[in-house]
Amino acid sequence: MDLQPIHPEPKSFLRRYVFSLDHKVIAKQFLWAGLLFLLFGGTLAMMIRWQWAYPMKPVPILGPLLLSKTGGAITPALYPAIFTMHGLIMIFFAITPILIGAFGNYTIPLMIGARDMAFPTLNMLSFWTFLVSQGLMIAAFFQKMGAAAAGWTTYPPLSDSVGTPGWGQTLAVLAIFVTGVSTIMGGINYVTTVIRFRAPGMTYMRMPLTVWGLWLTSILNILFVPVLGSGGLLLLLDRLFGTQFFIAGASAVNGGGDPLVFQHLFWIFGHPEVYILILPAWGILCDLLSFFARKPAYFYKGSVYAMVAVTLLSAVVYGHHMYVTGMSPLLGKGFMTFTVMISVPAEILFVNWLLTITKGSIRLEPPMLFALGTVFVFGLGGLTGLFLAIMSMDLYLHDTMFVVGHFHLTMASASFLASLAGIYFWYPKMFGREMNKTLGYAHFWLSTVFITLVFTGQLVAGYSGQQRRLFEPYQYQFLHHLLGVNQWTSYFAFALYFTQILFVYNFVASMFLGEKAAENPWQVGTLDWATPSPPPHHNFDVVPLVLRGPHELSDPEVIRSLGRDWIGQAEALPDERPVAEPARAAEGGRA
Amino acid sequence: MSEAIAQMADLSRTGTAVPLDRGSSLRDENTAKLGMWIFLGSWAMLFAGLFFTYGAIREATARWPPAGLPRLPLGLPALNTLALLASSALLQLGLSRTRRGERAALAVFGAFSLGLIFLSLQLVVWTQVWKSGMTVTGGPYPSVFYGLTAFHALHVLVGLAALFVLWIGCASGRIGAARHLALSLWTLYWHFVGAVWLIIFASVYLA
Repeated sequence: MDLQPIHPEPKSFLRRYVFSLDHKVIAKQFLWAGLLFLLFGGTLAMMIRWQWAYPMKPVPILGPLLLSKTGGAITPALYPAIFTMHGLIMIFFAITPILIGAFGNYTIPLMIGARDMAFPTLNMLSFWTFLVSQGLMIAAFFQKMGAAAAGWTTYPPLSDSVGTPGWGQTLAVLAIFVTGVSTIMGGINYVTTVIRFRAPGMTYMRMPLTVWGLWLTSILNILFVPVLGSGGLLLLLDRLFGTQFFIAGASAVNGGGDPLVFQHLFWIFGHPEVYILILPAWGILCDLLSFFARKPAYFYKGSVYAMVAVTLLSAVVYGHHMYVTGMSPLLGKGFMTFTVMISVPAEILFVNWLLTITKGSIRLEPPMLFALGTVFVFGLGGLTGLFLAIMSMDLYLHDTMFVVGHFHLTMASASFLASLAGIYFWYPKMFGREMNKTLGYAHFWLSTVFITLVFTGQLVAGYSGQQRRLFEPYQYQFLHHLLGVNQWTSYFAFALYFTQILFVYNFVASMFLGEKAAENPWQVGTLDWATPSPPPHHNFDVVPLVLRGPHELSDPEVIRSLGRDWIGQAEALPDERPVAEPARAAEGGRA
Repeated sequence: MSEAIAQMADLSRTGTAVPLDRGSSLRDENTAKLGMWIFLGSWAMLFAGLFFTYGAIREATARWPPAGLPRLPLGLPALNTLALLASSALLQLGLSRTRRGERAALAVFGAFSLGLIFLSLQLVVWTQVWKSGMTVTGGPYPSVFYGLTAFHALHVLVGLAALFVLWIGCASGRIGAARHLALSLWTLYWHFVGAVWLIIFASVYLA
């Protein structure tokens, strides 16, 4: 039996709920912090949508509260700050903490049969560092010259001290650096935990695909977040100390810095980042589709290798963000080839999902519906990605709303819906209560329909030539006719926003009113469902001995001998001798 | 990281918590070391980003150093390189002495002192260069020089604080053959800081 160290159960309130070392508590902290900022970032998005539907008209509700000086309307100076902060908040302070901070922390130790993360103190520090970065982000709003306004990509010269003077931009860049440090701390923990703390018998090829996705994401995080860190650091030096790394100067006299170098650093990080945000979602999808189709995941190893291939390729495609920067067409062709290549493993995953649910006994519970919704919006997003990957097409579509629609379908919609799938799925385990299913169904249908309409609306506007980030698009003659499309897109966006009231109510109220959850309400075999709901402080009384893969569903032998269609990963059949794989069993026990 | 291990207790099949001695188990030590390697690998990517920027800027500049800017001094930085290398070697010696159960306080203190000398000499170099008329705002060449060396010096500073605490630990006997995880982790870190310096010395001063 593999003995694993764990910190003793804390007694005081502070150690138990605030400065907790327990991965389950830290996961909930990340979840709350992420959900709050999701609401916050969503509100900012509504302000952008308002401006595009009713340019320069006073914003209802929020306008009188926040913008009293301008009579409630958004000014041209404020507008860039709104979309910049929306992007930064959603990516770094909402999706990242929910998908990686919350699900990573909650599921990895439970799913691999560990009692906690490898470095619990580091885990706690990771959350508190993250909270500091969120604080810096909030502080950026209250600066004299306004919040960060150089776009989420923070390109110099727009982001240097001349382009966006004042502390707002500085604090936002600092916040990104600090949140990067938090992400790296988390990444070190996840990667080490998966390598060292798997229960005996939990081979890599028996790990749930959720864990695979999170693990690969963490590897990308520890490799590429520091690259963004280096860019942010040099940008801070430029802003605060007057260095000239990214400031183009009189090169004849004493050389010049180069703003383009920042774009390289940014996208060397930035392209892996989109996979950082989607790999955990893919992993969750792979598992949920199998669980709720009551079938083993189709071609499990194929999904694993496809995710590994995406992870590797994601490091060499970043140039497709920079086709129009004067990049050599030859280099561009190389990036184009890799970009098109990366869709092959993505297709393999997609086909695996479809074949997993084919002829399954599908149970359309809320988590499954959200998983299917994710497959749908990700499919749309992936297909529009092919347009942008091709250089000749990108010349036309670059910096239009088409790009915005594309990455909102993949990074935003798919991650958002997959997060919801995960929340509906693990909620009974996390909080020991069931969520209301009727509200869940309503939430699913409204959310999925509206989110699809919002971002296809953006695709249409972009394909018709509307550039992104315009304050008042209709001042251009050729965009006049797009007012209708944009207004309808905005109505759908408002509807999407207010639909989330259903979720907020369900999420909060179910903690008190929900039915007590059973140990394994979804009847699946992974280890996280082999402990009470919610799990005790040490997760498992006995570290389980894993005997099989994560998706042993509808196995005829299991049905015959146990009378049900699922079997736990660590559950032995009546006539089975519980032996882990020899290699791992020998390693068990403490040296 | 090492604190986390200190707080680890063993909840065995009986369900009772048995506190573990810090770094007493090979398994925990290997886990902690793996974590440290992953951290250093990750942090190396940050420095890689910095060197990438340096290379890209320099490649786009016709003359390096640009006209009108002084060449950087070589003597003191070379001496500094030796100091940091010797410091790394001494710390490694301290670690292996600790592992064998021999006294290592002197070696760790030596490593600390050499690190302190490095930082003091670095301060002298900065003053010299500044006085020769090269300020931070003078363009990309001074940007690279001050930016890279200052960010590296920050890492030296963190390392020095750790070495000081480790020295006290070695002197008081808290760190010994049975308990030296913190020492071995910080030794890895210190080697990393030294290796980064070698690249800075070779690329910023020599080349």
